[in-house]
Amino acid sequence: MKKKLTLAILLAATATAALAGPIEENIRWRQSAYSFAAWNVQKIKSQVVDHPDTYNKDSVTAAANAIAAVANSGLGALYTEGSDQGIGWKQTRLKPEFFLKKDEVTKLANTFNEAANELAKVAATGDVNLIKTQFGKVGESCKACHDLIRIKE
Amino acid sequence: MKVTIHIWDLPHRLFHWLLAASVIAAYVTATIGGELIDWHGRLGIFILGLLVFRIVWGFIGSTHSRFSTFFPTFSRLSAYLKGQWHGIGHNPLGALSVIALLAAVAVQVGTGLFANDDIAFEGPLFDFVDKSVSNQLTSLHSTTFYVLLALVVLHLIAIIFYRWVKKTNLVAPMLTGKKEVPVALAATHYQGKGFGVIRFILSLIISSTVMWGVSSGASQLYSAQSPQQTVPANSSF
Repeated sequence: MKKKLTLAILLAATATAALAGPIEENIRWRQSAYSFAAWNVQKIKSQVVDHPDTYNKDSVTAAANAIAAVANSGLGALYTEGSDQGIGWKQTRLKPEFFLKKDEVTKLANTFNEAANELAKVAATGDVNLIKTQFGKVGESCKACHDLIRIKE
Repeated sequence: MKVTIHIWDLPHRLFHWLLAASVIAAYVTATIGGELIDWHGRLGIFILGLLVFRIVWGFIGSTHSRFSTFFPTFSRLSAYLKGQWHGIGHNPLGALSVIALLAAVAVQVGTGLFANDDIAFEGPLFDFVDKSVSNQLTSLHSTTFYVLLALVVLHLIAIIFYRWVKKTNLVAPMLTGKKEVPVALAATHYQGKGFGVIRFILSLIISSTVMWGVSSGASQLYSAQSPQQTVPANSSF
C-alpha cells in the first residue's frame, strides 16, 4: 500500500515537474500576453473591419492601448535560453531559429512595437479608415514574426 | 484534313480562367497578409463556388466538360499508353492532372474554411471546431499549398511541352473554345456550340447556395446555437 502511494506521489510530482520551473513560467507569461493581445485584436477587427456599425471609439482606443502595452512590456525577456522546449499553458511553438537569428528577431519586434504604438495613436483620433489601415500593418508585423520563429502546428 | 470544332463550352472556359486568377490572387493576398487576409478569405469562398460549379457542370455540362467523357478509367489509360486512345478532349494523362488539380484545390479550400492565423483571421467555419483542430487544419492548408504549387507548375510545363514539342496549342482552345481536329475524329464527336442554359443557371444556383451557406448561413447557424455574437468590448470597469 505504501509502495503504491509513494509511486503515485512520485508520478504526480514528475508530471507537475514538467510544468514547473522558470522556463515553463516564462512560456506561460508570454502565451498569456499574446492571448490577451488576441482578445484586443478581435475587438478592433470586429468594430473597425467586420461590423463598423458597432464602432465604439473608447473601446477601440482601449484595445489599441492594450496591444501597445503588450508590445512595449519587454516580452523579449521571456524568451530565455532553452525556452524553445517546454510546456506553458501548452507546448511552446517557438523555433530554435529564434536564438540563431537574434538580429532579425529584434528588427521584427521593433516593427511590431512601432506599428502597435502608431495604432494606439491613430485609434485616439477616431478616424476609422486610418485605424483600419494601421490595424492591417499591425497584423502584418504579427505575421512576420510567426513566419520566422513559430512552428506551424 | 482538319476541321474546327467547338470543344470547351463557355462556362467551362470561364471556370478555368476564373480559377487560375483566383488561385493566384489567393496566394498573393495570403503572402502579403495584413488587411488583405480578408480578401484571401473571400477568394477562398469564391474558389469553393467555382469548384462546386465545376463538379455540377461535370455532370450536366456539354460533352467535353462531362467527367464521363474524359474520366481516366483503367481501360482508357492502358489504351492511351498503348497509343490507341483517339479522343479529342483531355487525353487520360491530362484527365489525371485535371482530377489531381481539382482535388488539391478542394483540400486547400476545405481546410481553409476552418483555418485561423492566430492574429485576426478565422475561416467561415472556424466556430464549428476546436482551436487545436483549426490549428491542425491550418497546418494542412499550408502544406497543401506546396502540393498545389507543384501540380500547377506541372500543368504549365505540360502546356509548354505540348506547344514546343508536340506543336499543339492548348491555350487557344481554352480561350476560344475551338479546336482543329482531323475530320475522321470530328465526325464521331458531338459538335454543338451550345450548352444548356437552364443547366448553367441551375449550376450557378447550386454553387451560389453553397457559397452563401458557408459564409452567412454558417454564422447564422452558429449564433443561433451560441448567444455571444460579438467580441465582448464594453463594460463599466
